[in-house]
Amino acid sequence: MTDFDLELKQITKIYPGGTLAVEAFDLQVEKGEFLSFVGPSGCGKTTTLRMIAGLEDITSGELYIRGVNNTHIKAEQRPTATIFQNYAIYPHMTVRQNIEFGLKIRKLSGSEIRQKTSNIIDLLDLGSVADARETSLSGGQRQRVALARGLVTEPEILLLDEPLGALDANLRRAIQDELKLLQKQLNITFVFVTHAQSEALGMGDRIVVMNSGRVEQIGASEDIYFNPQTPFVARFIGKNLLFEGAITSASGKIGAIKTPNGQFKGRLIGNAANNASGLMVVPSEYISFGKTSKKDVNTVKGNVELANFISNTVIIYLRLANGERTKIETHVAKLDGQDLNTGSELNCYWDFNKSSIMLSESNG
Amino acid sequence: MDKVVSLRWILGIFTALFVLFLYGPFIVMGILSFQQGPEGGPQFPIIEWSSYWYQHVFGLAPPSRVAPLPIGEALIRSLTLAFATMVVSTVMGVLTAQAFRRPFKGSAVVFYSVILGMIVPGVLLGLGMVLIADQVGVARNWWSTAFVLHVVYTYPFAFLVMLAIFNRFDESVEEASLSLGVSPAKTFRKVTFPIIFPGVLSAMLFAFTLSYDEFPRTLFTGGSDVTMPIAIYGTFAVEIHPNLFAFGVLSTLFSFSLLAIYGILLTLSVRRQRQRASGLQEDIS
Repeated sequence: MTDFDLELKQITKIYPGGTLAVEAFDLQVEKGEFLSFVGPSGCGKTTTLRMIAGLEDITSGELYIRGVNNTHIKAEQRPTATIFQNYAIYPHMTVRQNIEFGLKIRKLSGSEIRQKTSNIIDLLDLGSVADARETSLSGGQRQRVALARGLVTEPEILLLDEPLGALDANLRRAIQDELKLLQKQLNITFVFVTHAQSEALGMGDRIVVMNSGRVEQIGASEDIYFNPQTPFVARFIGKNLLFEGAITSASGKIGAIKTPNGQFKGRLIGNAANNASGLMVVPSEYISFGKTSKKDVNTVKGNVELANFISNTVIIYLRLANGERTKIETHVAKLDGQDLNTGSELNCYWDFNKSSIMLSESNG
Repeated sequence: MDKVVSLRWILGIFTALFVLFLYGPFIVMGILSFQQGPEGGPQFPIIEWSSYWYQHVFGLAPPSRVAPLPIGEALIRSLTLAFATMVVSTVMGVLTAQAFRRPFKGSAVVFYSVILGMIVPGVLLGLGMVLIADQVGVARNWWSTAFVLHVVYTYPFAFLVMLAIFNRFDESVEEASLSLGVSPAKTFRKVTFPIIFPGVLSAMLFAFTLSYDEFPRTLFTGGSDVTMPIAIYGTFAVEIHPNLFAFGVLSTLFSFSLLAIYGILLTLSVRRQRQRASGLQEDIS
C-alpha cells in the first residue's frame, strides 16, 4: 500500500485522567531511516514510542507498520522490538539465554536458534560474556545485550527509549557511533527517543522535536539546527540568539521586526503577520564580529561581560543596549582582532537571509 | 554525650528484656522437657536429666499412667491443612496482588475487604462460620469449614507480602518480553514469576506457619477430627506432663527448620541481587 516502514496518522493519546499526552501526531518513516524523537521530559516522546510498540493504547488515530494497520494489534504481535532505558535484562538468565528468549517462542529449530544467537553475539562482540549473568556485566555490555536481544528477533522497527541515559559521557559517545553504524549495517528502521539535543542531532537522519504532546518540527539535523520553525525549537535546539519585538513588515520573503535592540530583517517563517509580537532568531554560528559596510545585514552591539574560552569555542556574554544579556557561542577564529576584555564594545552582524522572523506565540 | 550513653543503656536493657520474654518461656519448656519420667512433673527442680518424655512422644517409652499424646493423626491433619492453605492462599495472594498493579475502580473496597480477614477476631469468625454451616446444613470438618477460615485468615498475609514485592518490581522486564513477541501468560511464567519467587516463598512461609498453629478459628469449625493445636489444648484439660514440652520443643525445631530452608533460599536470591547492585556500582565509578 505504502512505501513507508512506519506511518502515524493523527495519533493521539489521552490518559484516563484526561491528560493529553500526544496530540494528532502525523509521521512517515521510510525503511532504514534513523529517526530521533527529542523534547523535554513530559513532551510525549516516550508515550509515542510506547504506542508504536503497543505498550500503550492509542486513543485515536491509526498506526501502520509496513502498510499494515497495527493500531489495535497487541504488543507481542507487532513486528517491533523495544530497548529500554534500564535495559530490562532478565536477571535470572545468562546473556545467551536472554538473547535466545525471543527466539524460543518462535517456531524455529534448535540449530536455527543457535545459529542466530551466535551470529548476533559475534556481531555485538558479546562472546566473552555469553554465559555471564546481568550482575557481572558493565553498563556498556548491558546495553549491547539489550540490543542483541531485540535485534535477534529481526524486528522491522527497533524502538529505543533513551538507551544511552544510564551510561557515562565517554561511553555514551562511543555507543552513539556504534549504534549508528549498526543501524546502517542492518538497514533496520530505528526510532530513538532522547531528551538530549546533541544525541538527537548526532544520530538521527531525521529529527522530530516534540513539546507538550505536539510535534514542533520534523526535519534533518542541520534543518532543525539552522532553520527552526517555532520559538520552542529555536530555544530548545541549537545556539540561537533571540530578539523579541513587533513585526513591522510581513509581506514577501523578507520581513522586518522592531526590537529594543534595533530594527532587524529576516526570512519570514510560518504565518508571521504585521503588528504581531514576533521573534528574531539567529544561529550563533552565523554571527560575524566587527564593524561592517556590507549590505543586507543586521547589526547589533553590546558590551562584553565575559568571554569564556573553551579550547576553540568561545562563549561570550554580551550586555546589549537595552540592558538585556545575551549569550553567543562561536569559534575562536571568528573573533580575530576583537577586544574581548570585560566592558569593551563588540559589534555583531549577520545576513538577513541567515536569520528568521516568526510569531512569538507557538501556535503556528 | 552522657545522654546518648544512658539512652543506649535504656534501649539495651529494653532489648535484653524483650529477648528474655521472647525466649524465656521456650527455654524453661526446653529444660523441663528433659525432666525425669514418668514420675517427674512439669516443674522445677529437675529430679534427674533424662530423655524419657521424648521417647514417650514417639511411643517408645514403656506403658505408664501417662497417656500418650493424641497427636499422630492430628499432626498429619494439621500439616495437610497447612499445606493446602499455603497453596490456595499463596496463589490467591499472588493473583490479587497482580491485579492491584494497575489501578481499578473499587480497588480500595477490595483491598480492605481482603485485609479484614486478618483483622476480624478469630473466635467471632469461627462462631459465625458455625452458625452459617448449621443453617446451610454443612458438616463441620477441618478440611471444609476450618480450611475456608484458614484461607480467609492467611490470604491477606500472602496478599500483603506480594503487594510489597510488586511495589518494587520493574515492569520493563515484562514489557521487554512482550515486545519480543512473548505472550502475557508465558511472560508471567518465564519472566515475572522467577523474579518474584523470593516473595512467593515468603508468602508461602507466612501462610503455612499461620495455618499450622491456628487455634481460635479452628476451635469451633474443625469438627470432631481435631487438628494439632486443638488436640494439644485437649490434653491441658486433664493434666500437664513434660511430654507436652518435649513435643513443643520438637514442634519448634520443625518450625525453625522451615525458617532455615526459607533463609537459605532467600540468601541465594539476595546474593544474586547484591551482585547486580555491585555491578552497577562499578559503572558509576
